[in-house]
Amino acid sequence: MRHPFREKLMLAVALVFTAIYLFPLYWMYVTALKSGSAIFASPPAFWPADPQWHIYAEVWQSRNMGRYIWNSLVIAFGAVAMISVLGVGCAYVLARYRNGWVDVTLFLILMLQVLPASLMITPIFVGFSQTGLLEYPRLAVTLAIAAKSMPFFVVLVRTAFLSVPQELEEAGLVDGDSRVGAFFRIALPLARNGIVVSALLIFMQAFGEFVYSRSIIQRAELQPASIGLNSFMGPNTNEWNGIMAYATIYVTPILVAFVLLQRGIISGLTSGALR
Amino acid sequence: MKGILSSIVDGKGFDIALVALPLTFLVTLSGLPLIYNVLMSFQQVDLFSLGTFWRPFVGLKNYAELFAQPETWPIFANTAIFVVSSIVGQFLIGFGLALFFWTNFPGASWLRGLFLVSWVMPGLVVGAIWNWILSGDFGVLNFLLRESGLTNGNIFWRSDPNYSLWGVIVANIWFGTSFNMILLSVGLSAIPSDLYEAAELDGANAWQRFRTITLPMMRSSIGALMALGLIFTLQQFDLFAAITNGGPNNSSNVAQYWAWELSFRQYDFAKGATVSVIMIVFVILASIVYVRSTRHEVRR
Repeated sequence: MRHPFREKLMLAVALVFTAIYLFPLYWMYVTALKSGSAIFASPPAFWPADPQWHIYAEVWQSRNMGRYIWNSLVIAFGAVAMISVLGVGCAYVLARYRNGWVDVTLFLILMLQVLPASLMITPIFVGFSQTGLLEYPRLAVTLAIAAKSMPFFVVLVRTAFLSVPQELEEAGLVDGDSRVGAFFRIALPLARNGIVVSALLIFMQAFGEFVYSRSIIQRAELQPASIGLNSFMGPNTNEWNGIMAYATIYVTPILVAFVLLQRGIISGLTSGALR
Repeated sequence: MKGILSSIVDGKGFDIALVALPLTFLVTLSGLPLIYNVLMSFQQVDLFSLGTFWRPFVGLKNYAELFAQPETWPIFANTAIFVVSSIVGQFLIGFGLALFFWTNFPGASWLRGLFLVSWVMPGLVVGAIWNWILSGDFGVLNFLLRESGLTNGNIFWRSDPNYSLWGVIVANIWFGTSFNMILLSVGLSAIPSDLYEAAELDGANAWQRFRTITLPMMRSSIGALMALGLIFTLQQFDLFAAITNGGPNNSSNVAQYWAWELSFRQYDFAKGATVSVIMIVFVILASIVYVRSTRHEVRR
């Protein structure tokens, strides 16, 4: 039995809830477009009367955002590549067996997943300074992020492999394929979507990473976009339209990717976090 | 040699290699620093001895000094307030929204998914937006509170020691609510609907159905979420860096930010490590609860 009126009413209420919840995001986009004096108007305008579209190009230029975004991309791609190469096989094996060793390994991985970055940075920094890794700050940050995020990736990808029926691989082995061949030709393609979604989540995390970069990368030309945003926000800042324009440029690609791939991201996330 | 090679291509060696490599990496970059952290909390570490492995051991001196500092207990109290308020706020709003969207009208799952944009945003961007929303004179939150008659004057969220921690808590509740909502939705959708139909036939009202069916069936989801919430709120660093920097006068400082501050602002690496060790013990206890509450479901 359907209730068209009730459904419409629920949808309307849901839209109101969504609008309230997403208001901070809206406020970022609106503030960016206001002029320097309009942002301090009282009462604040909820719609930009005179949108200043040129602010994006100005902020991009004056804050040297190209360099920051490039560094973010280098670090995030490096971390995702490292995690994917090391983590996929690990997740595969942990999904294929069920014994004491696997339990111990999974437990260890889950424990490493929960260590907060801001509490681990002190020993990591001191260790890196002793081994000379601080000389290569972007590599050092990439390694630290890879270690921090790999457990999460392994847990998510493991659930992707769990949904691939083992019989398919066994059939491949009967047909004369080797284990390596069965892994690459059968298991990997079937788990591909789960792997891609997990890698994307890791990429989003690494793209916004802050605490490791802040502590390890001293030279401005190697710092990622999160540090650039932080240095834009001084204690007595009043360029809020510029800061919001910076935030907009930084975050919009992530939001677009998320909205496009929403379904896959959410199912990957929920199956991984609860299992 | 040929035996080892064919074992890697075709046998147990393949599995062991696939697991051993990443585990070595993880142990080197997470496990060793963890142990090293404990070690450092018993050592005297300064800028001069930073580059050497052999440093004088000082026993429990770092711990004793830490707890003799006047700001220590207030900061730990702030941490507790931050964690409890954030978890309660995220959970209650998240549960309310999950229950609402559970009624399954057209478009519900898509709109529900849209909420998660808050969770995928970089923490520093979320912090920057809230920094501006919470601003004292020109912040839109103060405007809305004033106009709706909830407050008379402006609240200086970032510079008033009575409110600075709550400013960060408000931002953190926004940040994490969607994650709570999504996980609770998964728990809700797993409850068989015939349970409700049967209860309705027996004349149970909505509140009775919620209390006798929904809550008990959600127990393991809620348990996992509480532990995850504790882990995530103790990881929260970016919002503090973007909104208050722990100030004014440590009124919004929490242990995970303070540990970093001690090491990287005051260059007191031993104290930073000491605070870290204390907090990591808490995190590990929480994660044991989390692992236990999720593990037995898989085993069935």
